[in-house]
Amino acid sequence: MSAEVHHLSHAELLDQENKRYHAFINLALFLSVFTGVEIVVIFLPFPPVVLFTTLITVSLVKFVCVILWFMHLIYDAPLLLILFVGGMLLAAGTMVALLNLLARSDVDPAVLHDSGVVIHSATRVDGTSIS
Amino acid sequence: MSDAAVIAHADDSHAPAEAHAEHPTATGIDTKKLLMWLFLASDCMFFGTLISTHLVYRKVYPYGSNEKGIIDIIKTFDIQLTSFSTFILLMSSFLMALAVSAMHKGQIKSFRRACIGVMIFGLIFLTGQVYEFTHFFDGHALYTFSVKTPQGETISSTYEGPADQVRAKADLARRLYAEHSDWMALPATATAEEKALTPAAQLKLHPDWMVTAMKQVKVEKPSLSMQNSVFGSTFFLMTGTHGCHVAIGVLWLASMYLYSFTGRMQKNMHGAAIDIEIAGLYWHFVDIVWIVIFTAVYLVEYIPGYNPTQ
Repeated sequence: MSAEVHHLSHAELLDQENKRYHAFINLALFLSVFTGVEIVVIFLPFPPVVLFTTLITVSLVKFVCVILWFMHLIYDAPLLLILFVGGMLLAAGTMVALLNLLARSDVDPAVLHDSGVVIHSATRVDGTSIS
Repeated sequence: MSDAAVIAHADDSHAPAEAHAEHPTATGIDTKKLLMWLFLASDCMFFGTLISTHLVYRKVYPYGSNEKGIIDIIKTFDIQLTSFSTFILLMSSFLMALAVSAMHKGQIKSFRRACIGVMIFGLIFLTGQVYEFTHFFDGHALYTFSVKTPQGETISSTYEGPADQVRAKADLARRLYAEHSDWMALPATATAEEKALTPAAQLKLHPDWMVTAMKQVKVEKPSLSMQNSVFGSTFFLMTGTHGCHVAIGVLWLASMYLYSFTGRMQKNMHGAAIDIEIAGLYWHFVDIVWIVIFTAVYLVEYIPGYNPTQ
């Protein structure tokens, strides 16, 4: 519902809330099934890329469904959606940037070893062994 | 005028005339609701950094630690329990949506029923998390041990307990003391202060007074703690922060539930509907954060190749 709508009769209001009630029930069932799919799929012998794609897609769909229906963003003013998506994009951007900036090679076991961390066996960045 | 405001105008007999007085805002959205969404956007970034930190360290430390074997995440995780907790949290979100819907219709009793359900589900989730944290922290290992009876006989047996040997010895000593308190032998070198302590305190400080020898035979689940691994640090920080959010949500809903008995909600149904909607937004947010954590932290560990210890 947009912010411009002003008045509803009591009957219209109840009708609207009842429709939402059914939408909530359908969504709860949908979320349960999708969670079940997530749990089952990780034990199936699919290639990792298929599993990653499935998990990310399913969790994204669940995420979007909850914010749209349970959190009423689909019924509320678009400004709220913009506000929330703004924060979410910043969070997702941070995640993607950090994952791309940092790599395994940024950790030198020799530095950890020299700073007192107990390492029984590891390979330094330069290829030599710590033992 | 916001959606909730529209609905409150058409509220049932609970809403007196003064409840219809509404302050117009420049955006047409209730100020409290707008602020809540801004807070949630900022909380998104907060959890975004926590999850990012976990994923980055997961990438940088493939074994979850400096070297292989310190932790074994797949053995540590209990996916059945976590799946159950996820389901419970999703269903609590559903009940929260019903609670908000009931308030919009002015049905206080329906709201109370749904609210109780949300709180119970939230508490089940928290209980599951406490159980999970305890088991992760303890791990599981098999030991052989020996004790000396007052008659000088040495009894050897096996014991299953925490992976941490110090805690395992203390736990075994406590258990043995409960059954055979006379087997505890204070050495002649014990100081007067040590002798003055209670048996429980003595066993905590000197489990060897009860268990003479103990050897770890097999570690079935290594202990996961904030101290022993990078994975433990980021995992407990992230899921612990989420658990705190759930606990705050439960307290918030409990306060709204009690408030509904004061009669003030009935005097201002519009305001009450907005307040419940805001609490609901917070609860749903906690749910969506868990949707991400469940996938990005738990489920991905089972994908072949992601976890090198698999």
